[in-house]
Amino acid sequence: MPTLETLVKIALLIAGLMTAAAYLVLVERWVAAWIQDRLGPNRVGIPLTKVRLFGLGQPIADGVKFLSKEECTPAYVDRLLYFLAPIIMFVAAMAAFAVVPIGSVLPIDVEIDGTTRPIELVVAPGVDVGTVFVFAAGSIAVFGVLLGGWASNNKYSLLGGLRSGAQLLSYELPLGLGILGVVMVAGSLRLETIITQQAQSGVWNAAIEPLGLLVFFVAGFAESGRLPFDLAEAEQELVGGYHTEYGGIKLLLILVTEFLHMFIASFMIVILFFGGWHLWGLTGSGSEVTWPVAIIRVLVLLGKVLLTILFFMVARWSWPRFRFDQLMTMAWKVLLPLGLVNLLTLAVWVEYGDRVSRAMGLPPLAVMAVCGWIVLIVAWAVLAWALPNTTDNRPRRESAGEL
Amino acid sequence: MPVLEAPQILVIAAALAAAAMWLMLPRVRAGAPSRAAGVVLGLASLGFFASQLPGLGDWADGLIVFVFSGVTVAAAAATVTVHKPVYAAIWFGLVLLGTAGLFLVQGAQFLAVATVVVYAGAILVTFLFVLLLAQPEGRAPYDRTSTEALVSATVGAVIVGVLSIALGRALSSPTLAQTMPPAARRATGVLSEHHVAALGTELFARHLVAVEVAGILLLVALVGATAIATVRKEHKP
Repeated sequence: MPTLETLVKIALLIAGLMTAAAYLVLVERWVAAWIQDRLGPNRVGIPLTKVRLFGLGQPIADGVKFLSKEECTPAYVDRLLYFLAPIIMFVAAMAAFAVVPIGSVLPIDVEIDGTTRPIELVVAPGVDVGTVFVFAAGSIAVFGVLLGGWASNNKYSLLGGLRSGAQLLSYELPLGLGILGVVMVAGSLRLETIITQQAQSGVWNAAIEPLGLLVFFVAGFAESGRLPFDLAEAEQELVGGYHTEYGGIKLLLILVTEFLHMFIASFMIVILFFGGWHLWGLTGSGSEVTWPVAIIRVLVLLGKVLLTILFFMVARWSWPRFRFDQLMTMAWKVLLPLGLVNLLTLAVWVEYGDRVSRAMGLPPLAVMAVCGWIVLIVAWAVLAWALPNTTDNRPRRESAGEL
Repeated sequence: MPVLEAPQILVIAAALAAAAMWLMLPRVRAGAPSRAAGVVLGLASLGFFASQLPGLGDWADGLIVFVFSGVTVAAAAATVTVHKPVYAAIWFGLVLLGTAGLFLVQGAQFLAVATVVVYAGAILVTFLFVLLLAQPEGRAPYDRTSTEALVSATVGAVIVGVLSIALGRALSSPTLAQTMPPAARRATGVLSEHHVAALGTELFARHLVAVEVAGILLLVALVGATAIATVRKEHKP
């Protein structure tokens, strides 16, 4: 029975993710069209009729197009790695979803090894290291990018792969620092526990550690490689980046993987900082649920994730792309110090905050929220004062006086 | 009464492994010994080693352990025998994933994911960066050959042989952990629900100095690397 339960969950998850990816591509194109004052895809409806259905047939048409395109493999590629790279990326991205909860629990009891428990809405329930597991799966994605770029045996692909690899590697550090703060407050690496802790206190982590949210949000953005951070593709300079030489179903795999990275980033942002399935007065916070509550929790979580994804999409058309040196400055000179400050603040609070605020007769979480926002403003101001206003990446030159 | 005792079988297995690795390691000259023979000998050696594994209870658990171990060992052999440096890195990645899988089977979740994050996600990617830039084609002879095939195969086999004989002795007498009742094992060991917290407490209470020393060592290395990498200005006298 547990095997069957897991298999059903995996099947539902894969089907849901693939459908969501297809339709979110359509949403993304609508958002792009709206921002650029165009109409966007609105024609494809039911085939052979004139029914347009607002363009809802577009994803199916896109899928058929990708599948039926000629599978063109350039003659000079390293064949094995060329085929392997998209698969590695895709598998790593899907694996991360094994520990991500899509809701809390369903009110059906199943019996396993003599103990009954409700069905948890996560493929691998009770993984003690959930957050680190997501992180590990994300770090495997770098291989696909690097190998894809290298195996294509093309200068643009190699440059795109190296750029993207360096970017993913650099932004893993602030990402980890952002996660660490949440883990310290919750006292657990388990995603379910992190949500429950926020639901029971009724205060989301976003309120008490805004600096952590900022660091994690930007790093998550960079890890998913979307527009302000899409140096790997950079159409104007690198053709298509590491997937220049890919076509057909392999390109589809890579593009879907990029969407999956955005999903996982959104899920993590919502779960770690915005309370997961919790919404005040609507979902409750206990582990005993009835059917309506269970469904509402799923809808609340998915609604929050959808809002985050929409933010990603709007952000895509709102900022210009970073230059590579700006990207690295951002990771190492801005996000890393901010992450460390956040971690230090939280460590001090976890150790002393409770005692001090009780001694002063104030609610601890409110004190922490105030401290968090003050730290955010001060750290931001200090960084703004310390960093130069303009950045220059021209080659270094000795000044005339010294020569 | 079996024909051979356990240590003798392990010695034979190690000797076979040495011969297999010697045959499989890449050479400069054409007409080097057959690598296919090396693969056959390697499989035979693996068979000998596997025959000495203790029973693992449930067949499904046993199958998973055997698959992970087999993949890990085969990938490790491939790491040192393939010609292209990039492929060596990929095989090494598979070794790490296999090791992580073995950790996971044992219930050591944190060690498993930490192995993947630290080794596969950070260290191996750094290797790859260098390999991708240094020799895209992998045609340089120094990248493709092993200079001391005989010595390295022998040393490796001796280490593996000694370790497995020592391990066989240790496994033949029941250890403290095995004599404990299952409930106690569950509470103290890696199978405990809160083993990550237990691991953290252990690391930062009993081994605090070691953790701090390792941290400082890494910091020193970081500062040193920065000092080496910084462009030095020529000072005029």
